Amino acid sequence: MSQRKGRSMHADLNGVTHWLILHAARRAPESLSSRLQEEWLADLESRSSALSRLRFAVGCCWATLVIVSDYSRSPVPAASSAAAATRLITFSDRNFGYFSVRSGTVFIVAGLHAALFYGLITTLSHTRGLATPPNLENHMLDPVPPEKLPALPPGLEIKGWTIDVQKLVVDVPPKVDIENDVTTQGDEKTPNPYSSPLPPEAPTHVVRQIAGGPGAGFPDTADFYPSLSIHLGEEGMSTVRVCVDPKGKLLSDPTTVKSSGSARLDEGALKLARAGSGHYRATTEDGQPVNSCYPLGIRFRLKS
Amino acid sequence: MGKKNANVRMSLQTLRVLEAFLENPTEQLAGADVHQRCGIASGTLYPILLRLESAGWFVSQWESVDPSTAGRPRRRLYRLTSTGLRRASEVFASFNRGVLA
Repeated sequence: MSQRKGRSMHADLNGVTHWLILHAARRAPESLSSRLQEEWLADLESRSSALSRLRFAVGCCWATLVIVSDYSRSPVPAASSAAAATRLITFSDRNFGYFSVRSGTVFIVAGLHAALFYGLITTLSHTRGLATPPNLENHMLDPVPPEKLPALPPGLEIKGWTIDVQKLVVDVPPKVDIENDVTTQGDEKTPNPYSSPLPPEAPTHVVRQIAGGPGAGFPDTADFYPSLSIHLGEEGMSTVRVCVDPKGKLLSDPTTVKSSGSARLDEGALKLARAGSGHYRATTEDGQPVNSCYPLGIRFRLKS
Repeated sequence: MGKKNANVRMSLQTLRVLEAFLENPTEQLAGADVHQRCGIASGTLYPILLRLESAGWFVSQWESVDPSTAGRPRRRLYRLTSTGLRRASEVFASFNRGVLA
């Protein structure tokens, strides 16, 4: 079976080979056509393998093209003598390179095929990338190194970030006791520059705080005006810090937080603050008196 | 070929064909014989043979056999002419001297 198939293929190749030679001979110049056909068919018999015969036939097709090309050129007149023939042979026309017209044409055709193949490959790969979605792949990314901050000045260290949330308080204006000429400046924590611009938060409970101050029965400033200061005409306001319980009594000894410029007046203010224990008005939150500390301004002024 | 064209392009393949004939200048060779000696493909060989014949370097004639008796077609046999032998010798001599012309 296989031998029969081999013989059939051999016969087919033989037929193709003969057809190629006959076709090549027919395309040759008319004066050479029959000669070349017989010559090539005779030389074909010397080839044994089918592949060699096929190559020979294809070569004959190419030879026809070259022969036709040679015949189309204007022939050089024949040499009349050997000396004339010697002069006519132009060695400058010699081509000693390995690339004849045939080889050059083969290279050009091969180059065109390679370029076409490359173009198809690149175009198809580009089209495939557009038509099909890219494969979804997981890529393990290297951790991004933390951005370097500028170096801190020596001695300064940042231990962490904190966010200060200011407690919203109602800024109660201090109550001024005109008669005793003693003014309270409110709690030290009360002045809050950030409290005013903040909009009120409706759902948050707002503690209504009323700062304390001198209450009923608080001693008169004149009783504690130092006599030497009166004689010297010293005037001024000393601010003391007092801590008061819900009953208006001092929780601790008052301290001077802002001097009046006169030690005597500051001492007189401290005596007045101490003497007022039990007569302070306690600070209230939502109406309930609570312990609180607040500055108390005491002004000494001579009446003219 | 009829027309004589002495202007022969001396390619490497042409030199190899001439070399095959110069081994025995009186010998007649068919195209298949030249192919076996120098290995030139048929597409290059036959145009060279025709050019050299056209230039008067070769003469060719049919093999004197009866195809029916031999069981094969007649072969075309080529042989160097006296002109061809001298010119081919000059060409190779110039190469041996290292001078082209």
